[in-house]
Order: sequence, then C-alpha cells, then structure tokens
Amino acid sequence: MSLKRTIPMTTVSGFAVSAFFVVTILNILIKNMPSNIYRAGDELLKLNSSEGVANAVTTVVVYFRGFDTLGEIAVLFIASLGIGLVLKSTTKEKIESEESNFMLKTGAKLLSPIILIFGLYIMIYGHLSVGGGFQGGVIIASGVLLLLTSSNHFHISHRVVERLETFAGVSYVMIGLIGLIVMDSFLGNFLPHNISQMGLLLSGGIIPIIYIIVGIKVGSEMSVIVDNMLKRDIDD
Amino acid sequence: MLGLIILGTFIAMILIAFKTIIEPKLAHSVVLSMGIGLSSVMLFVTFQSPDVALTQAVIGVGISSLIFLMGLKHLRGGYES
Repeated sequence: MSLKRTIPMTTVSGFAVSAFFVVTILNILIKNMPSNIYRAGDELLKLNSSEGVANAVTTVVVYFRGFDTLGEIAVLFIASLGIGLVLKSTTKEKIESEESNFMLKTGAKLLSPIILIFGLYIMIYGHLSVGGGFQGGVIIASGVLLLLTSSNHFHISHRVVERLETFAGVSYVMIGLIGLIVMDSFLGNFLPHNISQMGLLLSGGIIPIIYIIVGIKVGSEMSVIVDNMLKRDIDD
Repeated sequence: MLGLIILGTFIAMILIAFKTIIEPKLAHSVVLSMGIGLSSVMLFVTFQSPDVALTQAVIGVGISSLIFLMGLKHLRGGYES
C-alpha cells in the first residue's frame, strides 16, 4: 500500500475558505479591540472579601456563579440517570464473581479509609483551602469504587443513596429560596459572614454549607454510576 | 528554569498524545491518556491554579479514566479490543 495519496480538490478549497473566514474574523476582532481590557476575574476578586471566604475560587463557584453550579449538578444527575437506564437489568451480578486479588484486598483495607477521610476533608475545608464539594465527592466515589472492586460482600444500599441525593438536591434549592425571600436574590448569603472571621471553619455564611451539600450529591451520584458500571447481566 | 519545565511538559504532552492515538489496544491508550492529564496537572500547578489542578487530577485523570476502563469491560472483546 503506497503512502502517496491525491488530495481531493474539495478538501483544499474547504481549507482555503475556512482560512479566509478565520482571517476575516480575527481582523474584525483586532480592529474593534478596546484599548484598556478589563478582566472579569479582577472585579470578582475585589468583591471576594465581602463574603469572608478565604478561597476566592470557592466564592466564585458557589456564590457568584451558584446558579451555574446548580445546573452542573443537574447535568451530572441526568448523566447518572442515563447510565442507569442504559445498563438497566433486573438480574445483575458483578463482573468478577471469583475472589479478588490478595494484594487488592490488603491495599483496599489500608487505603480506603484514608481516601474517604481525605475526600471528606477536601469537601469540608473547601472554603479555606484548595478543592471543594465537587472534587471531594468524586474522591469519595473513587474510594467506594476501591471497596466495590476489592470485596464481593460490599454493596451500595440504593435506598440510602437515593435519600441522600434527594435531601441534597432539595436543600440546595431550599437554601436558594430562603435567600430569595430574605436577601431578595436567589442563593443570597443570609447567614452572618464577617470578614473578621475569614479563615475560620465557621465562616462565609451559607457557602461552606452549600459546598458540603454539593459534595453529598456528587458523591452519591458518582457512586451510583460506578456501581452501575461494575455490574453486568448474568446471561451475557 | 521554570520555562524549561513548562516547555518539557508541553513536549511530553504532545508525544504522549501521539502515542495514545497510535496505540493498538484501547486499555493502553486509556492509561496513556492519564499521562496527558497528569502533565496538564503539572502545568496547572506551575501556572499557580491549584484548584483547577486538583479538579483535573481527580476528575480528568482519576474517575473518568476508571469509567473508561470499566466501560471497556462491557465491550465484546474486553481489554483486548
């Protein structure tokens, strides 16, 4: 098979037309560029100290863009629902029915508590240091995955996960509605948030509470996804 | 010195990406794509954005690759495909 190929004329003309469009759009953009560029991040960072949260990224994600976070959680819920629907079956078992590896079992005994506690730490200290609810929830789900692969006797109780998820979703919206009633804005910060308390665990008003709720919801959804992916029909 | 580290990480990312594409086994290319994610974690740390780095390390490298690997088991060929 020879490596030589004739390039079709349509490809060449397509490249030429798209290059022309790119050059035109760039030209318009550069000509109309304002002389002094403001970045949205600077304005948000100036406002950060009003909420009394040490981690500015958390303030942006949970407070200034709290409605977007609600949408992200809804998207993750729909993804989890879709995986559950595609892999739905009444008769299910784990793919590996035989006993797991000795190394895997010992490592899981050693590592899974550390992973779960690290996930909780990332979740609870999200307003003080790096991370937050989303990352902490995913870390907890990976710990659950380690437990599920290592042991045949470990099962996720779907009723508990369902209750947790419902509680988290409802309380997120309820906190937003209370903010709407008290502060006249959805997800308004109605709890005391003084700048003198910045850096303490109990600071920032509703922001750490919302991030913990996000962590519970993400952790339960990702655990359900992992649990569904590990199973398979018996007659497959 | 920092510039050299950033440049080296960029080149490593591009090389790993090529290797990921031409790898015949799907499981190997999933593991190689974790390498791309790890080098981008290094880049995020050098650009002083630890939040994005943690998110990439947890979601981009960790759970999504694990979900890809679990999905490979559902395919007909398993890991050999």
